[in-house]
Amino acid sequence: MIRLDNVSYSYAKGGGVSNVNLNIADDEYAFLIGPTGSGKTTLLRLVYMDLMPQVGKVVVDKFNSDKIKPRKIPYLRRKIGMVFQDYHLLNDRNLFENTALPLHVVGCDQEEIVDRVIESLEEVGLDGKEEHFPEELSGGEQQRACVARALVKDPDIILADEPTGNLDPVTSFELIKLLEEINREGTTILMASHNYNLIKGRGHRIIEIQNGSVRQS
Amino acid sequence: MDKMMFLLSEGMKNLWRHKLTAFTAIFSAFLTLAVAGSLIIVTQNTNKLIEYLRDKYKIEVFFKEGVKEERVVELVKEFKKINGVRSTTMITKADAEKIFESQFGENILDLVGYNPLPASCVVNVVRKRETKLNVNPIIKRIKSYPEVDEISYQGRLIIRIESYYQKFVKGMSIILILVLVISVFIISNTVRLTIYAKKELIQALQLIGATRLFVKAPFIIEGVFHGLIGALLASGLLIGGLEFSSNLIYSMAKIKVEYEPLILVGILLSISVVISYLGSSRAISRFLK
Repeated sequence: MIRLDNVSYSYAKGGGVSNVNLNIADDEYAFLIGPTGSGKTTLLRLVYMDLMPQVGKVVVDKFNSDKIKPRKIPYLRRKIGMVFQDYHLLNDRNLFENTALPLHVVGCDQEEIVDRVIESLEEVGLDGKEEHFPEELSGGEQQRACVARALVKDPDIILADEPTGNLDPVTSFELIKLLEEINREGTTILMASHNYNLIKGRGHRIIEIQNGSVRQS
Repeated sequence: MDKMMFLLSEGMKNLWRHKLTAFTAIFSAFLTLAVAGSLIIVTQNTNKLIEYLRDKYKIEVFFKEGVKEERVVELVKEFKKINGVRSTTMITKADAEKIFESQFGENILDLVGYNPLPASCVVNVVRKRETKLNVNPIIKRIKSYPEVDEISYQGRLIIRIESYYQKFVKGMSIILILVLVISVFIISNTVRLTIYAKKELIQALQLIGATRLFVKAPFIIEGVFHGLIGALLASGLLIGGLEFSSNLIYSMAKIKVEYEPLILVGILLSISVVISYLGSSRAISRFLK
């Protein structure tokens, strides 16, 4: 599903990843753990091809960073749901509109949009809050809204970049359980975190990254 | 279809969400199009004026004594075929005698005992021509006939009028192009403000797999709406202004300002679509680079 072969990427001001080899199988739930600045976000950006490797290649499903044309990258991203630490919700739209956005992008009709948004919000436990705006939701609710927006397009992969970074321990734990449920339904999940205590002992692969180099567990 | 509706509604909502930038963009489109519309009306009416003046251009051709009337008829027909000639009028010796009598009140035969007035022909040039009208080739061609004795025409005046007209048309075209280019930049910069305000939306759309066209479309639609509103306001101002002032202008300068309101609105709407499309497309494309 996700393969990185000898991938390196470095920023002009330093940092990045070097010589990363990684395989994430279909339906796998893997944690990417490492301190701040270790290269977790860079690695995720390489997977959704926001950055292109300077050396090596990234293969996600049938999309290969060596061959992909820029105009095809949106089609890769339609297969990936993304969850961020700072949510990336749009404050001028309510929860329904935020969640529906990926479906407008792929051109779903209104009836299908309503069904899928409601289903997705139910799945993350936010049903009944469709009319709420992001600022009217708690941090945990906003992060679940972010998961709902990722889920609504029925992605093959979910990439989560420090999704628990702004959440208290209880809410963080609930979010991880929610992602586990989603994974059980067949979605591959790669979640970056710097909080080892949160993820240890859950039976998932932990990929350690330090100074841009990956060490697998 | 649903995607199209979504993009249209996003464009419309942007208008409402960014009232200040919308106002700025509409106002700049309005000003530009009002200036462009005025230039178009002035140019159109200058065309009418040049047509009127060309109508007055007259080339009088006098034939030599002794040229038979049948030959004069043939020559007049040949002159009509020359490029740039609109019509010809033949004046026989008998016609010239009558014209003399009507102008001076006396018969030339009574005065000098014979008719010394030559047969002649009046050559009228074309009126409708966008480019400079050069009468010299016409004169040269007519002069090449041995039967022609003398040609009388307002050579320098025609050249001067035509030259001024050409300079005027060129000047107007340059000003119009400049105004339109400036408006593209103004609209582009105004839309850029909206784009910065919607940076988060653009990033979100890119992350969820929106194509460049999908990201660009609402901004372009919004820009085109600005342009259309500006064009309608400019049309209203120009038509209202002309309706109000045309009688006044006529009473003062005896000039009837002519224009077709529907054509004017059509031209301004078309220009607005083009400039606002170029302006907004430029802004969003630069942002997405």
